Amino acid sequence: MELLKIDNLRKTFKKHNTRAVDDVSFSVFKGEVLGLVGESGCGKSTLAKLALRLLEADKGSIFYKGRDLLNISHGDMRKTRKDLQIIFQDPYASLDPRMKAGKVIEEVYHIHKNVSGRERKNKTIELLETVGLGETYLNRLPSELSGGERQRIGIARALATDPEFIICDEPVSSLDISVQAQILNLLIELQKRKNLTYLFISHDLGVIGSICDRVMVMQSGKLIESGSCENVFKNPQHPYTKTLLESALLP
Amino acid sequence: MLLQIKNLKINYKSDNRMVEVVRGVDLDIDRGECVGLIGESGCGKTTAGLSVTKLIPERKGNISSGEILFASNDILKLNPEELRNIRGKKISYVFQEPFSSLNPVFTIYEQIRESLEEKDNPGRRIAEILKSVGLEKIIGRKNAYPHELSGGMQQRAMIGMAIVSRPDLLVLDEPTTALDVTVQRQILDLIMELKNKMNLAILFISHDLRIVFNIADKIAIMYAGKIIEFGPKEKIVSSPAHPYTIGLIDSIPSLEHRKKPFNAISGKAPLFSELPQGCKFYPRCRFRIDKCTEKEPELRDVSGGQASRCIRIEELKSNGTIKNR
Repeated sequence: MELLKIDNLRKTFKKHNTRAVDDVSFSVFKGEVLGLVGESGCGKSTLAKLALRLLEADKGSIFYKGRDLLNISHGDMRKTRKDLQIIFQDPYASLDPRMKAGKVIEEVYHIHKNVSGRERKNKTIELLETVGLGETYLNRLPSELSGGERQRIGIARALATDPEFIICDEPVSSLDISVQAQILNLLIELQKRKNLTYLFISHDLGVIGSICDRVMVMQSGKLIESGSCENVFKNPQHPYTKTLLESALLP
Repeated sequence: MLLQIKNLKINYKSDNRMVEVVRGVDLDIDRGECVGLIGESGCGKTTAGLSVTKLIPERKGNISSGEILFASNDILKLNPEELRNIRGKKISYVFQEPFSSLNPVFTIYEQIRESLEEKDNPGRRIAEILKSVGLEKIIGRKNAYPHELSGGMQQRAMIGMAIVSRPDLLVLDEPTTALDVTVQRQILDLIMELKNKMNLAILFISHDLRIVFNIADKIAIMYAGKIIEFGPKEKIVSSPAHPYTIGLIDSIPSLEHRKKPFNAISGKAPLFSELPQGCKFYPRCRFRIDKCTEKEPELRDVSGGQASRCIRIEELKSNGTIKNR
C-alpha cells in the first residue's frame, strides 16, 4: 500500500537561488524501509522537512494515505503529524538541555492529547523501556546522558504518538560505531515489531545497506537513481552512485 | 624507532577531581609507518595523541608518569624552547574539524606562510605545498580565505600546513570524520600518498575501524585508558584477539547486512571514576567469567606481534567459540 506519495516537489532557497529539492517524485510503501543517500548539501534533509511540512514547498504535492497534505488546514495537519514522526541527527541539539527525559516524552502526550493525564507517566515509563532505558531515566537531564542514550530518547519521543511512518534523518551519524550498531538494532527491531515504515536518510552506504529495503540516491537536489538495495549496490547505473560505492569504506 | 611511548599515565580533571584517563600506554611508531589508534569517545585516545608533544593544558591535566621518546629524546624532559622546535615542526597535527582549526581572518596563503621556516620568497614553496595537497586551484589566489573553501579543501589546507616543515611524525585526530564519504576517500588517498612520498610516520586516531583498516599498518585498540589489543592490521582484521575488538568489527555496517541485527557490544563504556575491578571490559563482555574480575590482565603476546589483554582468548579460539574471519 502506498503510504506517502511525493510528486514533483520543489524548493528553492532565495538567498543562494539554489534548488535544494528539484522536482522530486517518489512513493513510500507501508512496512518498508526506504533509504535516501547523498552527500551534505544534496537536499536530503530539506526533502525530509518538506515531506512533514516543517518547511513549505514551492510546488508539487504530498499525499499521505491519499490525503493532500499541502491542501489541508493547520488543525488537520497537526492531527496527521501523529502518524508522521521524525528522528533527528544530532541528539545534542534536538533535546532541550533543561528538560528531563521523562518530560520530553510527556510533552508529546500533552500536545497531541492522545493519552489521558493519569496514564501519561505509565506510558512514558513503558516507552523508556521500549527503547532500552527504563524508569531510572525519567528524571535525567540530557547533559547526564551519553550520545546513544540521547538518541534513544529521541526515538522514544517519535514513538510517543504511535506513528505509522517515521523519517529518520541521519539518526546514527554522530554516534561512535559501537553505539551506532546498538541504535540500528533498536530501529530494526522496532520496525519489524510495529510494522513501521521508515524513510531513512544517511550519507553512509553501509548504514543504508544494513537497514533499508530500497534506496534512492540524491545529488544536487535531484533523485538520480533508485531501486532495491540489492540492485543498486550490485549494479549501479549512474556514475555518481558508482563513485559513492567506490568511496564507501567497507569491511 | 622514531616514537616510543612507554607506560604513559595522564590525569585529567573531571568534576573537580583528578581521574586517570590514560592508565599506562605503550606504543611504538617507526618511520614510514601508520599506526591506527582506535577507541570509543572518552577512552583517552585524543589525550594520548596530544601528549606526544605535551599539548595537554596544565589547568586541565598532567602527565603523571612515563616516557615519550622521540628520536631518542624524552619529550617530557624538554624545556619549552626545545619543545617548540619539535611541536609543529618535527611532529605536526591535523584535527577533526578543519574550519575550527583554521583562522577565519587570515588567508590560506598567510596561514601556510606562518609555518614556513624560510620567510624569504615564500611564494614558490607555498605553491609547492598547495600542489602536493591537491589545492592547485588556490595557487596564486593569495586572497583566498578559509570560508571560501569546501570542507575537503579546508582539510587539504590543514594537511598542507602540517607538512610545510617536513615533519617526521603526523598525528591525525579523526581527520575525516566531519567530511563526506567521497571527500573522505580523497583525503585518505592524499594522506597515503604523502606518507609514501615523505616517509612519514603517522598516528591515526579514530573511532572507526573501517578507516584504519584502509590506511594503517598496525592497529592499537584502546579501552578505558589502556591498549587492550595491538597488532599488524592483517591480524586484527582476520583474527582479532579481544572480545572488544570483535564487538567493534561486528558493529561495522555493510551493504549486504539487510536488517540482520548487529552483534553489537552491549552497555556503555565505564566512567573513569567508576572503573570495574579486574578486566575493564568485563561488564560488557559476552565471554566473561568470574576469573576476569580478579586482576586487570596484562597486555601479552598471543601470536607473532599481536598482543591482547584477554585472559580467555586462546581457550575461546581453540574451542571454536571465537572463529577467525
